[in-house]
Amino acid sequence: MHPFGRYPNSSLKDLNRVACVSALVDAGLAVSDVDAVYAANAMAGLLQGQEMIRGQSVMREIGIERVPVTNVENACASGSTALRQAVLAIRAGSADVVLVAGVEKMFVEDRSRTLAALESAGDLDVVSGIGLQFTAVYGMRLRKLIAAGRLTVDDLVAVSVKSHANGERNPYAQHRKVVSPEEVLGSRPIADPLTLLMCSSICDGAAAVVVARRGAVRDNSKPTVRIRASQAATGYTTTGNEPSLTELCAAAAYAEAGVGPEDVDVAEVHDAMAPAELIAYEQLGFCSPGDAGALLDSGTTQIDGSRPVNPSGGLSSRGHAVGATGLAQIAELTWQLRGEAAGRQTERPRIGLAHNNGGWLEGESAVSCVHLLERTDPWD
Amino acid sequence: MGLNAALKVPTTAERPRDNGHALVGSRCGQCGATSFPARAVCHRCGTAAPAEHTFAATGVLLTYTTVHVPRPGLPAPYTLGQIALDDGGPMVFGQVRTDGTEPEAGMAVRVRIGAPSETPRYWFVPERFAG
Repeated sequence: MHPFGRYPNSSLKDLNRVACVSALVDAGLAVSDVDAVYAANAMAGLLQGQEMIRGQSVMREIGIERVPVTNVENACASGSTALRQAVLAIRAGSADVVLVAGVEKMFVEDRSRTLAALESAGDLDVVSGIGLQFTAVYGMRLRKLIAAGRLTVDDLVAVSVKSHANGERNPYAQHRKVVSPEEVLGSRPIADPLTLLMCSSICDGAAAVVVARRGAVRDNSKPTVRIRASQAATGYTTTGNEPSLTELCAAAAYAEAGVGPEDVDVAEVHDAMAPAELIAYEQLGFCSPGDAGALLDSGTTQIDGSRPVNPSGGLSSRGHAVGATGLAQIAELTWQLRGEAAGRQTERPRIGLAHNNGGWLEGESAVSCVHLLERTDPWD
Repeated sequence: MGLNAALKVPTTAERPRDNGHALVGSRCGQCGATSFPARAVCHRCGTAAPAEHTFAATGVLLTYTTVHVPRPGLPAPYTLGQIALDDGGPMVFGQVRTDGTEPEAGMAVRVRIGAPSETPRYWFVPERFAG
C-alpha cells in the first residue's frame, strides 16, 4: 500500500509505484513475472483528466509494458472488481501471476470538483440536480433503521469511536486520531444523523495485491493466503421488501467457499460512513436484524474480540481513496491472516471477509463485491 | 410480447417524466412492476412490456435527511427524501420542502412539478400543506 492521506506532491504514478513495488517485493517477484494487470481507478478521468489508458500510464513508471493491462472502473468497488477479474483470468488459464492495483488522487485544488466527481456515482439521468450524494444516501438508510428501532444515535457514535481507535493503530491510515463520543456527536452535521467524524473524507492513496495460480510462485516462506470466494453483484430496482444487495452477494460468497458467517474470523467492511459498519453486521449475517448495536457493545467486533471488524480503521478512518479501497481491504486482511498487522493484529484469524460496495441506485448500492480469504497454513 | 419490441420504444428523451401534476414512468403490462423514469425492458420479469404510466401524485416518505454541505446551485441546508409513490408506484428520491418544520418518516407527501426550465424538475411537500 501507499499510506492513505493527503499527498499533494505525489502523482498517480507515485502513489501507484509505491503500492505495486511494495506488493511485488512482498511476493518476492520481479516485474517480469507479471502476466497481466488489472488497474482500478474511479476518478482520474474527472480529476486529473487522465482517461482511456489510466492503468497503462501509471504502470509504465514501474516498467510494466507489453502484458495486457485492463482498466477497471466500478465506483467505490473498483478495487474489488479488479481483484475479481484477476481471479477469473487465473481460473480461465490465461495468466499465472496477476498484479491488481488501485490508485486514487482525490485532493485537487478545488474541493468542489471532487464532490462533483463523487456525485457521478448515481444514475445522473434519474437523480441529476436534486443534490443526492453519498452522505445523503447513507443518512437516509440510517434514519430508516433508527426510526424502526433497530439502531440508536449512540450506536452510530460508538462505532465511529471504534473506527478512529483502530485507525490510530494503523500506520497506513489517513485518520490516526482517537476521538471521544462527545467529539463525534459535536462535530459538524453533514447529512443528519451523520456528523463529520462519522464520514470518510477526501483521500489520496494506492493499494496493490499479487494473485497467483497455486504453485505458480516459489514458496517465499510467508503463510499462504488463498482466495476462497470472489463474488460480485449489481444493485436492483427495489420495492423496499427485497433482501439487500450485500446479503445476496455475501450469500453467494459463503456458498462458494462452503463457509458461513460464523466461520469469519476477521472482516473489512464497506463503511464509507462509519455507522454503515452496523448495517454490514446484519447484512453479512454477523447478527440478527436489530442486534447490531448489541454486537458492537459486546466487544465482539473490536480488535481483541472474537470477530474483529475493520481492524484497519475501515473506509472512514484508514481512508477511502475510492479506486484503491477494495484492495486496501485485501491488503489488510492478508496482513491479518499472516500475523503481520503489527499494533492491530487480531487473534490468529483463519477466514477473512472483504465487503466492498460502490455507487447507488434507488436506495441500494450499485455494486457489491464480497471476497473470502483463507490462511491455509496452521498457526502453530 | 417479444424482446424485439424494445427496439421500437421512443428514445429516453422522448418519454415524458411528468404531466404537470404527477410523475410519469412505466408499468409492466406483464408483471405490474413500475419504474421511474420509464424503461424499455422490465427489470423484474425481463419482458419488453413496460407501458407509459402516470403515477399517483401522492406517496409516503420512507426516510429523509437534511444535507448541510452546499453545492453549486444548491444552498444548504436542504432536505432529501425517499418516497414510495402510492398505488404501487416506484420508490424515488426527491427533495422534500416544508415550511421549516421537521419532516416525519411515514408522512403523506405530494409531488410538485416545477417549470420545464427548473432544477430540480420535481420535489415533494407534506400532503397537509398541499391543500
